[in-house]
Amino acid sequence: MSAPSLTSFIVKRPWLKRWMTPIAEWYTDAAGYRRLGLRADDLIPEESDVVQTALKRLPPKEAYDRIFRIRRAFQCSVSHTLLPAAEQTKPQEDVEYLSPIIRAIEQEKKEREDLDSLVVRR
Amino acid sequence: MLSRSTISRNAPRALQKQCSAAGATSHRGMASAATPGLQYDVTESAGVKVANREVTGPTGTLALVAKAGTRYQPFPGFSDALEQFAFKSTLKRSALRINREVELLGSEVSSTHSRENVVLKAKFLANDLPYFAELLAEVASQTKFSAHELSEVVLKTLKYRQQALAANPEAVAIDAAHAVAFHRGLGESITPSVTTAFEKYLSAEAVAEFAQQAFAKSNIAIVGSGPNSAEVSKWVGQFFKEAPSAGGSSKYHPQQSAASQYYGGEQRISSKAGNAVVVAFPGSGAFGTSAYKPEASVLAALLGGESTIKWTPGFSLLSQATQGFSQVRASTKNLAYSDAGLFTISLTGKAEQIASAGKSAVDTLKKAAAGEVASEDVKKAVALAKFRALESAQNLETGLEATGAALINGSKPYQISEVAQSIDAVTEAQVKEVAKSFLSGKASVTAVGDLFQLPYGQDLGLTV
Repeated sequence: MSAPSLTSFIVKRPWLKRWMTPIAEWYTDAAGYRRLGLRADDLIPEESDVVQTALKRLPPKEAYDRIFRIRRAFQCSVSHTLLPAAEQTKPQEDVEYLSPIIRAIEQEKKEREDLDSLVVRR
Repeated sequence: MLSRSTISRNAPRALQKQCSAAGATSHRGMASAATPGLQYDVTESAGVKVANREVTGPTGTLALVAKAGTRYQPFPGFSDALEQFAFKSTLKRSALRINREVELLGSEVSSTHSRENVVLKAKFLANDLPYFAELLAEVASQTKFSAHELSEVVLKTLKYRQQALAANPEAVAIDAAHAVAFHRGLGESITPSVTTAFEKYLSAEAVAEFAQQAFAKSNIAIVGSGPNSAEVSKWVGQFFKEAPSAGGSSKYHPQQSAASQYYGGEQRISSKAGNAVVVAFPGSGAFGTSAYKPEASVLAALLGGESTIKWTPGFSLLSQATQGFSQVRASTKNLAYSDAGLFTISLTGKAEQIASAGKSAVDTLKKAAAGEVASEDVKKAVALAKFRALESAQNLETGLEATGAALINGSKPYQISEVAQSIDAVTEAQVKEVAKSFLSGKASVTAVGDLFQLPYGQDLGLTV
């Protein structure tokens, strides 16, 4: 599910990171999902086995909150409104809650594939 | 030229000659390389008790025995979960990786639990000992206990195990007999029954907390069979350094259950899986404990029910008594634990026949209590009981756990010669006495199956 990204290239260079951070913040805010009360991880497409497994592994509270956010955003979209400023997602609330699980599952998958194509030399 | 058939025909005869020539001077048993040494070398390394017996051979076995069976679990299902979590993902490796590595080394790992212990066992080629010592230490101290493994793997396996238990009426009846006889502690179900609400207690964090104390240094013993003793204590000392040590308190820590007390009573469970009636009495504890009564194991062999020889009912009293009931299988066992034992007579088969077979089984016990047993039979029973005790000590499966349990509980490991002596010393009068004490005390009677037909304890002629 991961798209090619420059993130690790930028994060490794502090000067570049300092320069890019305000732009990134502006861009994320301009994307508009925070005004519908969503988090970035809510936008990950669900239609894959990996994400489906990850969703099953979410703690019950997280899973409930996620569905709540999505339904609220859907309602806003239908009624062509934005949430009041107090209910919009604040930048510090916009944290990864699903991506770490997805990365762990991808790693498991990769490990399985690696072990399946293992050549043993003794 | 010699044809093959001449060699094969003559070889046994030639061998026989040789043996008899040797036998004239000295009585020689089987080749010593094939007979495992039975004495365990007991040491302690890195605070962990280690017992090992050296057996010359290409393979070895290493087992970790933890005093965390169902008797000590804080809530139902914890011992099962702990057992299932063995060899799952650790902080260093994933479950898959452990699995593949073990396969590559051509070895076998398994975990089981009994009422008193959780046993993690590895069988391997002799020179892989360091790898498996490390693996056991890693499983004991660094398992992750992730929530998704609990819900995706452990709980699913546990469901199947519950169904397997429910499908076996004899196992259900024996489980119920323990509950009736000991209430808490030893009476806890070995696997929660299908209707037990165990999920509400079970969470990954709770199991992790349980495991930390269950695998604490003072609560485990390492038992080896095969490898060199010095090597075993060296590797155990190196890898078990980080094993958790006991301390703290939490409601999820293993329960230090009070000394077992026998209550007795009756329980009836309806089931469509089959029929079983179990009659239980306070039996003999494990060897080396205060509850050890060799005469109970002799009585178990005397009542018997299952033949040790093919195509014959055998000498045992129950198999003689139930010969007329072709659809009933009887068996007598003495289940020994660290501070108590349960003497069980179980009858399984057709419900119609169990009622009358049960009555004749109890009559047989009464006969034994009255001393109306041929002394020939008692002698046979003593020999069989001795064989069973020694065989279970020598056998890898049962011997490892028994030794580990003995080490943790502070008593000495199985001393073969003493076991044999204690059983040899059993007299007819003692057997009669123990049978009498069974009948005078309260019995535990459980019936599982078609309750419309199955008898009550009183119908069998027992005081419940």
